[in-house]
Amino acid sequence: LEVLRSYDLHTIVEEWFMEVLQTDLQANIGPEFWNCIQQYENTAEEQQCSLLLLDAFCLLKRRLDPYLNSLELLERWTKAGLLLGTGAQMLQEKVYTMFKAILFFSTTQSFQQMIQQFYSRTFRIYMRQWKKGEDVMNECESSMSENEQESDTEEGGGESPLCAGCSSKREECWCPKAMEQFQQLNDILRRLNLLERVSAEAVTTILHRMIEERMEQRCRGEYERSFLNEFQEWIEKVIGWLSRVFLQDSPSARCTPEANSTLKRWRCHVQRFFYRIYASMRIEELFSIIRDFPESKPAVEDLKFCLERTNQRQQLLSSLKSALEMRLLHPGVNTSDIITLYISAIKALRELDPSMVILEVACEPIRKYLRTREDTVRQIVAGLTGDAEGSGDLANELSKADPVTLENGQESDDDIADPEDWVPDPVDADPEQSWRRSSDIISLLVSIYGSKDLFINEYRTLLADRLLHQFNYSAEREIRNVELLKLRFGEAQMHYCEVMLKDMADSRRINANIRDEEEKLPEEERPPFSLVAVILSSEFWPPLKEEKLELPEQIKEAMEAYSKKYEKLKAMRTLNWKYHLGLVNLDVELADRTLSLSVSPVHAAIILHFQTKSTWTLTELSDVLKVPVTSLKRKMTLWLQQGVLREDPQGTFTVIEEEQKDQLEKVVLIDSDEEGDSAMASQADQKEEELQLFWTYIQAMLTNLESLSLERIHSMLKMFVMTGPVVTEIDIQELQGFLQKKVRDQQLIYSGGVYRLPKNCS
Amino acid sequence: MRVRIRGWNGVASWLWVANDENCGICRMAFNGCCPDCKVPGDDCPLVWGQCSHCFHMHCILKWLHAQQVQQHCPMCRQEWKFRE
Repeated sequence: LEVLRSYDLHTIVEEWFMEVLQTDLQANIGPEFWNCIQQYENTAEEQQCSLLLLDAFCLLKRRLDPYLNSLELLERWTKAGLLLGTGAQMLQEKVYTMFKAILFFSTTQSFQQMIQQFYSRTFRIYMRQWKKGEDVMNECESSMSENEQESDTEEGGGESPLCAGCSSKREECWCPKAMEQFQQLNDILRRLNLLERVSAEAVTTILHRMIEERMEQRCRGEYERSFLNEFQEWIEKVIGWLSRVFLQDSPSARCTPEANSTLKRWRCHVQRFFYRIYASMRIEELFSIIRDFPESKPAVEDLKFCLERTNQRQQLLSSLKSALEMRLLHPGVNTSDIITLYISAIKALRELDPSMVILEVACEPIRKYLRTREDTVRQIVAGLTGDAEGSGDLANELSKADPVTLENGQESDDDIADPEDWVPDPVDADPEQSWRRSSDIISLLVSIYGSKDLFINEYRTLLADRLLHQFNYSAEREIRNVELLKLRFGEAQMHYCEVMLKDMADSRRINANIRDEEEKLPEEERPPFSLVAVILSSEFWPPLKEEKLELPEQIKEAMEAYSKKYEKLKAMRTLNWKYHLGLVNLDVELADRTLSLSVSPVHAAIILHFQTKSTWTLTELSDVLKVPVTSLKRKMTLWLQQGVLREDPQGTFTVIEEEQKDQLEKVVLIDSDEEGDSAMASQADQKEEELQLFWTYIQAMLTNLESLSLERIHSMLKMFVMTGPVVTEIDIQELQGFLQKKVRDQQLIYSGGVYRLPKNCS
Repeated sequence: MRVRIRGWNGVASWLWVANDENCGICRMAFNGCCPDCKVPGDDCPLVWGQCSHCFHMHCILKWLHAQQVQQHCPMCRQEWKFRE
């Protein structure tokens, strides 16, 4: 060497060494090693596989050992200053790189499979051993956690003749051997510095698979407890195994900083991976979690914890959105169910993301969809007043103390919260809506439509309906509801409802007054039956359904008498009776039986007419009652059902004075008359009323201009009518529908794209 | 057959016996109330003048207060006198 040095040739030594190594690797060692590996494919037995694997690596080590020794020698020389070298470290790295490059430039699939198989086996054995230790401890502690043990034995197949670790027969268990091999292989790889290259991938895959498997087993569909701690413990076990792989077993090596950092890296990796997998699973299940909300709170909290550590908000949003669309927002779901789910979504997502951005973004489809359902408002209002079957959620929410008034909802964030607590919105927030993000359930529901008026109107209709059906004049519950709603919606909005309730109270007073007066009268002048009335302030009640009905003379007389008394009581005021509304209690006395019933005025009027004449045809009845035949026919069914009348022949009704026992009772189809029983004019009817206003204008237009197209009519209406004091909006489709109806009613002629009035009309 | 009515719960709406629907001053319905009131009927009555025009009491009183010299009916400009 001195000689070489004197000839300035010492640099060549290194190069020579490298070259020899390279050729040897390429020519001999590589193929030999791969040959070894190749044999595997022919061996089916796993045990043999791992033996072979170990052998192959042993061989590799034996072959490479001389080189490593000479490498050390070279290194020493460098240190001694004999060689200039490019630096010992560099040389070493070069050699290792060459190993990697030449030997493992391309690894075959089967090789990777082997490695994976090997590691997963040892992993299982390791976990099993660990658990055994735990089991012993558990037994000592007596069966505190029986569940845990059970699941362990299940997993481990403790009863089965197979060893849990190596899944071969108990007697032939090769766990310890495998662990030994495992240890050896790791040592060799470490020695050759090939550990990362060869096993990192396999280890990662195994870990991922194991985590997924375990999670699938343990957590899917289970929302009622938190799994974070359980998995944290489990991860610690896994880290124990990893340390066996990557670190020497000797305790001294464990404390080196390098080892620590490797371990730390792996722990970090495993944890992150776990969070991601767990979050993904929960995100996938979020719909069900929301459905079960108050019970699934632990799952929501877990998810929140994971989301803070992973970047999966976007995934959550899109997944939740599509889940909602697929499972909730289709015609097969009841509106009330959608609302219930929306409420639990509000509650759950409020927990998950206090900034409410997730709620806002993910639930936009629900809100949009609810807007298209006709009965949404009705359902919400019914929920608010506790009428809806099922959940009293909304009613509870309403009676909650310290409600957020909707009127002052716009107050800026500044005066609510301490500026120190301000947190910027997450990136996925919609900047346009950031000004107001309420978590109050009622305000969220009400804001679906963007206005309170719709809700107030709906509530008014509901209230009117109830007041006119119950006829109890002290509506405590309604008063309470109105008071609660007043807190929410403000005094002004609920004013109408208050007047309605006051009307009820006033009516009661007036009724009492009138009754007192009647009692002063001599016996014969008293009215034949007691008539009480609900007296409405028409301007404050929703429009009532108008129906024609001519009551029998005696009833009308009684009503007139009542009106007279009212006029005496309240100067300059009179009453306008709604004959068709009300409730009549009556007894029908037949030859052999008496029926006591509460019926509507129409029904009462019908049966009263049968007093004077026991057989009526439908047309005759329709004439006296002024009720159209079709609706009268429907009304008749009540009396047919009660067995008071019979229809024979078709369209002719006769009283059944004596019930015929032998004759089988005719089953009368129950016509669901009740559904149309609302006293209020329906939305459609109200719209009709509004459109009637346009009709006069349209008639005037067509009289002057003879014929006009749809668009012209619409634009003219827009110009003249929609600017007036009573702004009624109409869109062109609505107008078209309206005009077509008029055409059908022959009040209008449509030809050649223009509308015209019929000749005789103008 | 005999039908005995035990009780008849009727529904009626009250209205002022007036020759117009809206108050000439506030343009609100007579059966409603004047803009200052919340509750119609007894709390916001109508009054008639001898010229047969009628108004919400609160409305016409306000009008009469605003008149400095002579008090006229806002509709027909005759001298306003309450009808007994």
